[in-house]
Amino acid sequence: MAGIFDFVPAIVLLPFVSFLVALAVGNRLPKGGAFAGIVATAGSFLLSVATFFTVSGGQTYNQTIYTWANGLDGAVTLTFGLLIDPLSAMMLVIVTLIATLVHVFSLGYMNDEGETGLPRYYAGLGLFTASMLGFVVADNLLMAFMFFELVGLCSYLLIGFWFREPGPPSAAKKAFLVTRFGDYFFLVGVVAVFATFGTAAFAGSESFPHLAEQALHGEHSVNTFGFEPRTWFTIVGLLVLGGVVGKSAQFPLHTWLPDAMEGPTPVSALIHAATMVAAGVYLVARMYGFYALSPTSLSIIALIGGFTALFAATMGVVKREIKQVLAYSTISQYGYMMLGLGGGGYIAATFHLMTHAFFKALLFLGAGSVIIAMHHNENMWEMGGLKDKMPVTYYTFLSGSLALAGIVPFAGFWSKDEVLYETLVHGLGGSPILLVAYAMGLLAVFFTGFYTFRMVLLTFHGEPRSQTARDPHGVHWNVKGPLVVLGILAATAGLVNMTPVAELTGLEIEFLHQWLGHGIEGLTSHHYVELLESQAGYHAAEIGPIVPGLVSLALALAGAGLAYFLYNDAEPTEHTDKLGGAKTVLYNNYYQDEYQVWLANSLVQPFSRGADKFDQGVVDGVVNGVSSVSLLSGNRVRRIQSGVVSNYAVLLTLGLTALILGFGLLGGWF
Amino acid sequence: MLIEGLIAVAFVAALVVFVSPNEYAGRLAAALSLLPIVGSLYMWSQFDATGNALLGGSIAFETDFVWLTLGGLDVHWFVGLDGISMPLVVLTTILTTLAIVSAWTPIDTRQSQFYGLMLFMEANLLGVFTALDFFVWFVFWEAVLVPMYFLVGIWGGPRRKYAAIKFFVYTNIASLAMFIGFIALVFGLGDSVSSMRLPEIAMALRGGELGGFAGLDAGALKLAAFVAMFIGFGVKVPIVPLHTWLPDAHVEAPTPASVMLAGVLLKMGTYALLRFNFTMMPDVAQALVVPIALIAVISVIYGAVLALAQQDLKRIVAYSSVSSMGYVILGLIAYTTYGVGGATFQMVAHGLISGLMFMAVGVIYNTTHTRMVGDMSGIADRMPVTSGIFVAGAFGYMGLPLMAGFAGEFFIFQGAFASTVHAAMPLFTAAAMFGIVIVAGYLLLAMQRTLFGPFRFDGEYEVTEAAFHDVAPLAVLLLLVIVLGVAPDLFFQMIQQAVNPILQTGGGL
Repeated sequence: MAGIFDFVPAIVLLPFVSFLVALAVGNRLPKGGAFAGIVATAGSFLLSVATFFTVSGGQTYNQTIYTWANGLDGAVTLTFGLLIDPLSAMMLVIVTLIATLVHVFSLGYMNDEGETGLPRYYAGLGLFTASMLGFVVADNLLMAFMFFELVGLCSYLLIGFWFREPGPPSAAKKAFLVTRFGDYFFLVGVVAVFATFGTAAFAGSESFPHLAEQALHGEHSVNTFGFEPRTWFTIVGLLVLGGVVGKSAQFPLHTWLPDAMEGPTPVSALIHAATMVAAGVYLVARMYGFYALSPTSLSIIALIGGFTALFAATMGVVKREIKQVLAYSTISQYGYMMLGLGGGGYIAATFHLMTHAFFKALLFLGAGSVIIAMHHNENMWEMGGLKDKMPVTYYTFLSGSLALAGIVPFAGFWSKDEVLYETLVHGLGGSPILLVAYAMGLLAVFFTGFYTFRMVLLTFHGEPRSQTARDPHGVHWNVKGPLVVLGILAATAGLVNMTPVAELTGLEIEFLHQWLGHGIEGLTSHHYVELLESQAGYHAAEIGPIVPGLVSLALALAGAGLAYFLYNDAEPTEHTDKLGGAKTVLYNNYYQDEYQVWLANSLVQPFSRGADKFDQGVVDGVVNGVSSVSLLSGNRVRRIQSGVVSNYAVLLTLGLTALILGFGLLGGWF
Repeated sequence: MLIEGLIAVAFVAALVVFVSPNEYAGRLAAALSLLPIVGSLYMWSQFDATGNALLGGSIAFETDFVWLTLGGLDVHWFVGLDGISMPLVVLTTILTTLAIVSAWTPIDTRQSQFYGLMLFMEANLLGVFTALDFFVWFVFWEAVLVPMYFLVGIWGGPRRKYAAIKFFVYTNIASLAMFIGFIALVFGLGDSVSSMRLPEIAMALRGGELGGFAGLDAGALKLAAFVAMFIGFGVKVPIVPLHTWLPDAHVEAPTPASVMLAGVLLKMGTYALLRFNFTMMPDVAQALVVPIALIAVISVIYGAVLALAQQDLKRIVAYSSVSSMGYVILGLIAYTTYGVGGATFQMVAHGLISGLMFMAVGVIYNTTHTRMVGDMSGIADRMPVTSGIFVAGAFGYMGLPLMAGFAGEFFIFQGAFASTVHAAMPLFTAAAMFGIVIVAGYLLLAMQRTLFGPFRFDGEYEVTEAAFHDVAPLAVLLLLVIVLGVAPDLFFQMIQQAVNPILQTGGGL
């Protein structure tokens, strides 16, 4: 029977077809291929929804569909396959929904603004979506890596879309290069997984997380290269984590992401909400059964996450450009997801991945709408007063902002709260290092509330501070439509998993817990909880979710209140001088870019030039020296080099003949 | 007789083109070079060999008869194909045609001689990859140098004579070292071999028939011969520090010659290393695993670091070839299916991708008459199609998944990491893998500076999109790179069958 799962490849292939169509005939299509993209992603969305409902009926799918390299005589066989379980089904819906909305929004942002190169743009969007979907459905680590890299390629192409300007190509290069640095570790990790387990499958009895679990129980022996199994699994996990840190823009590989704002804004929405940046965190969730075996890995994930959440949030408070604020908020929010994963909150992190996808896509598209209105001026200090001129954008943006700041009952509150709660209970339950990460995450809530509402107030409230803000450019349905859809989701998506409410009322309303609790054996949240307890030593302390929730809410409100206090003026002032010396540090992003640029320009470049001199002077010098000393005297070289080529013909023939003669004489054949 | 036919067609085509008028030579050469493609594709479709041609496997399209009897040894005309050589034959025929087409624009003097030499080189290359008798093989091996020498020396850049002589002398001295090493082995084998057929020698060497020679005992002789041959072939690969002829040759060579040099001629080196050193003397190779793996790692990293410093697009691609060929050495020394098989696959993949990159640089050069990074920017504005393919090719070079380069590199990494020939192989592998970051660094930087940004060009030429026949070979190569990246098994199956017998004395997996 042809079930819905037979159509899962189409979810990936439809956007790929739209890539081909836009690339080949986009110039001849109306709107530069936009409709092909919309139809394709909408089709993928519908198929994803159908898949989602099938999965909610209890069915799952884990099937190899293509043999990439068939290993003979016992060598490993490398395959592509589909893994459809609650996690990937949910992600499919998120990615396809946001990709569809981004395509629609692009009609307003790109087509209506008279951009050139639209076929290239829509081809890029199509390939980006297809790559991400291929990554989401991947059933093994190698396939995941391959699509992960393709996602990186697409980000390069789209961030550098406006290639005729100097900024975007540079930003595109940086995005690819920094994430490539992370992917280097990921690739070593993939190879190590194959060498260790002989398979890279995510699910099933022959999957690497399962084999690792058995190895720890001593039921199965694997090649751990002389290490203790758990130590080796930690090393492998951390290697793979390198790719996660790069793609999900975690410290210290976050520097590419703010630069990536050079790309078109709808692309930013796609990158931040549903594709590239989400890919990293999704990967950790996908192979959570492997990370759950290693408390060290988990702690490192939590600490990276907590630190990144705080670190990025502080940088967000001084930015002048609306997209820059959003960029740092993205880094910070993915930090929360990492914190959740490391803190033992698999469901919480997945939940935040989902809510963040909605509200961050919303905020970027809202910012895009503002940028259209402002004639592509992104400086918030030249905005102001847009609230009355663009109410749809304002109210939807506000919905997203409330979600981002974590104000009840918007989506981000529930998910961020659960992330913090899970980290706290596991920290108190005997893993005190998590409390450090928790504290950083908690403090970041305050900053998040502050920068979010600073952004809202500067952009929409007060008096217009420039001519364009007084007379903004109007936006059409193709911009408003996606905003409304996402605005509603940002307000309501959190309702699917209201843990504090469930605790208070005793109702069974934690739908995400139920959702992720079923599925393929070994990939359920119940199994992960068991692993966390038995392998990582994570135990949950007995604390209710109410008090911690109130604490984080209070902090968010305090941050928002401070922003209101400082910036709710008709003519707000910057107030950044109050920060003193910290201001410069924050404006310069803690000099993270500086030191990485220094590494590239002042260390690697001179080193390579030195190597080149060495190569020309010493290595080649020896070659030339030997040839002029031993083969021919200087005079003869000069005579030969001044000759015509036909002289060399003689030389050549003579040389060849001499060789063959020598050969014959040596062999005694004559 | 298919192989003889293939080689003969190329020779005859070379002769015909050589005497044809200059105006038609390019078109005629391209048309005639389609015949070997048809032949090689037909052979691929009929290919039925299993196992390794040197180790008793069945040989496809085999011809073997005594040609000459010299001294105590028979010289056989012995040609045939197995899973290692078949892909390289296909690569050679396809790349030759594309290189010929890519010459239409830049080559505007003495065309009939140019195209004649290209076809003459093809014939000899086919001989190198099909010959299974040492004498026959060696004649072809040496004869390849002659056309390349003239291609660089006549149609090359300003320093073409220096580059051509350096190329010729360097590789010829290397051939001498290799030759002496091999002949010493033959003498050491004494009466246990009756001919110089490579399978006979390989079996005898692996069977421990080697005696002493010239005062050396068997072990020392084998070691000395291995080293001499490793150096001899290593020049061709080229391995660091024997690589300095390569950038000079590439920079001075006309584009089509660069395509053949990087695409096929370098593979002669790794092919010979695999056939001779690694197949015939696995025990010595595995005893020398640390120095060989170190050479591989240094070639990868050092080549990439040098590429980072270059300002000439062609030098960038040339040094990155050094880097890519380092991966091949790493794969060979791994002695695993994926390692040696991946190395063989990488030969084909790198042949296609480096050919693509050299052609793309050449197309830009045809228009701008400069290859210096600082002389231009924003070329993509005027040459969108060429630039698009350039970007795609560059990502192929960086090992983008679903392109052939990734398959080759990943196979090698996987095979090398899991290799049991030495406990430090995972570390060597991880070190070499860092090349994938550096390659991204220099290619992305070069693209950012030349293709993107505001259009600027200091020269006097008008920058416009290249002609169809300039771009078409690029597109074909790109397509092939993607096809092989999506379906590496097209070649990897036969490669594994030919490679696995080599592993049986050592290594696992």
